[in-house]
Amino acid sequence: MSLMPFAPSRPLSIGVELELQLLGCNDYNLAPSAPEILRRVAKRTHPGEIKPEMTRSMIEINTSVQQEYAGLVTELRALRDVVSEAGCFLNVAVAGGGTHPFQHWSEQKIFDAPRFHYLSELYGYLAKQFTIFGQHVHIGCPGPDEALHLTHMLSRYIPHFIALSASSPFVQGHDTGFASARLNSVFSFPLSGRAPFVLRWNDFEKFFAKMTGTGVVESMKDFYWDIRPKPEFGTIEVRVCDTPLTVEIAASIACYIQAMSRYIMVEQRMAPEEDDYLVYTFNRFQACRFGLEGVFIDPRTHQQRSIREDIMEMLEHISDHARELHAVEAMERIREILIVGNGTSWQRRAYASEHNLADVMQLQAELWMGN
Amino acid sequence: MTWSDYLPAWPLQISPALWLALTLVVAVLLGEAMVRHLRLPRIVGYIGIGVVLGPGGLGFIPQLPVNEWRLVVDLALGILLFELGSKVNLRWLKANPWLAGTSLLEAITTFAVVFSVLVWVDVPSTAAAIVATIAIATSPAIIVRTVTESRAQGQVTDRLLLMTALNTIYAVIFHKLAVAVMHGQAGTSFVHTIFAPLYLLGGSALLAWLFGITFERIHHHLGQHEETFSFILFGMIAFATIMASTLRLSPILVLLAAGLITRYQRKHTRTFPPHFGSAGAVLVVLMFIANGLAADLRGLRDGFLLVLLLIAVRIMAKLLAVLPLATHSGIGWRQAVSLGIALVPMSSVALLLTMDTAIDFPEFAFGLGMVLMSWIVILELIGPVLVQVALRRAGETPEKKT
Repeated sequence: MSLMPFAPSRPLSIGVELELQLLGCNDYNLAPSAPEILRRVAKRTHPGEIKPEMTRSMIEINTSVQQEYAGLVTELRALRDVVSEAGCFLNVAVAGGGTHPFQHWSEQKIFDAPRFHYLSELYGYLAKQFTIFGQHVHIGCPGPDEALHLTHMLSRYIPHFIALSASSPFVQGHDTGFASARLNSVFSFPLSGRAPFVLRWNDFEKFFAKMTGTGVVESMKDFYWDIRPKPEFGTIEVRVCDTPLTVEIAASIACYIQAMSRYIMVEQRMAPEEDDYLVYTFNRFQACRFGLEGVFIDPRTHQQRSIREDIMEMLEHISDHARELHAVEAMERIREILIVGNGTSWQRRAYASEHNLADVMQLQAELWMGN
Repeated sequence: MTWSDYLPAWPLQISPALWLALTLVVAVLLGEAMVRHLRLPRIVGYIGIGVVLGPGGLGFIPQLPVNEWRLVVDLALGILLFELGSKVNLRWLKANPWLAGTSLLEAITTFAVVFSVLVWVDVPSTAAAIVATIAIATSPAIIVRTVTESRAQGQVTDRLLLMTALNTIYAVIFHKLAVAVMHGQAGTSFVHTIFAPLYLLGGSALLAWLFGITFERIHHHLGQHEETFSFILFGMIAFATIMASTLRLSPILVLLAAGLITRYQRKHTRTFPPHFGSAGAVLVVLMFIANGLAADLRGLRDGFLLVLLLIAVRIMAKLLAVLPLATHSGIGWRQAVSLGIALVPMSSVALLLTMDTAIDFPEFAFGLGMVLMSWIVILELIGPVLVQVALRRAGETPEKKT
């Protein structure tokens, strides 16, 4: 199969996908309720899309193509409300967060769809361990070469997105010490990590053809890269974020990425270099492990500072672009995260006061469902 | 010093408790064998051993003295009822009124069908009504035990727990009313006919409410230490059970309602170990063995066809009654069929109600009571299997490890 042509899209348009946890209301463990939830929401009119995911304890909500924060957050709230209503009707709680803190991967059930069964066959237990919940952000690009340019330029800021959205400290009943333990599960996939350093779309097509030739890859979906081009949408897709604890934070992070993309496209006219990736995995690890406190090493100046400081500086650089995009409120929320902390800090605080991960999940679901 | 000073007298005087202790070991081993070789629920083994070795079967174990063992059964059932109540979210009924509809429809259909069959075979209508009320109740003991054992989770499981709690409440209330009517016919004054069920319901509700708020208070001050918590709960369940009997209230209603109230009031989730720890679990196993020992299949000799007919119509009633509102309430047909089948078991609650009726009306004990006993024993043995199959078929038990 050859690569799809790069579809036209409105530059800097945004779209958000959120993977959500479905929980039983007695023990707040993951519950295999996706088929019933999907059947229920199918009867309701709602914007965007609500879809099944790999296991039956998860669903995904997708927004339609949006231009700015107000529209995005309105649509996400509408999707949240329809899913929450279905949850109440079925005694199922719906929550954000990147991992479920005490589920057992072996008890998860693969959603009954051909692709999920295929992936389960191929990846074995990794597929069930992939019961993790992420936010994907699409940014519209003027063309394929620009998409590759943006992919590589945004890579420097991957730690920002990880640290801001981080909300997965607990895995299998324990605090891992990581701010985002979710990404450790993504690492186990053979085709995860960064995209190859290719700047022209026809070179990318050659790379893709070589990969399909090996039989390892059939479509872009088989690449689990942190950022990947999505030719059929005419976008690039940032895939490192944990699902935040509220839709408002999700929308704000998406708009932060949008404003940064505008800054890169309009103002920062420099070419990406292979050497930008020298510290890529180190910075990414720091963000996963320590969140906003992680050390950030600038690939060009080799300067060291905290990820929080780097975000602070970035907020200054992009403030005009954010204003152009009507995303001032979103930037305020980002600033707020820098002060009060990300989802991981919230979860650790909740655990410190409740001493019980089921209670943390209950609060987390209440936070997400907005009641 | 003679032999008799330090050797036991011959033949040995063996207390029934010794046999029971041995039965416990054998029952648990048999339960394990059920799971490993036949993939059947453990309780089939526990009940089965009682039926086979007890007075109703081969007669190796004598019938247990009723009064002493009644306490074990009451306590274990109290634990299971409280556990059931604390797993049921009553607020769900508000968000999804179709569930209440399904539950009422299921109870009314079961009552109507069983009542009609009995009247058709010339049973007097009050006696038929008493048996029909008992038939409403799905066994909370079997449901809680099988759900725990199969680690089931999902819509069918949640609904099964909710509907079992509700139909047990209907059964107890309507049973008491039917008994009051029967008393009325026996010539008791009208005042007593009215006052008796009112006292029972009001008193049970009050005791359950006191239990619920006291429990929440204690928990609030005690925090989360799991073992301490289990012990206190255990003591409270024992206290409430004995208190309910002393005050001649319904221990079934008190414990079930206390569980529901606790769940309704609490702000946060609380996960208890199954049956509130291993002491509770041992009592539960003993209760199932005792149920098996109490098995009395003599009713089958004269009423085999009637028992068979009653089993069949009750299964059809439960199954068909959950179907009409299924899709409105948010589940598919396949799930509704599973739910209907899982509602079939009868056991301890039905047994206790039957025994209570028999104490009041001795002629019931030897007539219809015998039929009811055989009916209960059969559904006690196949019930857990049906529940397990239904939950597995609904895809709510963990997948087989590959």
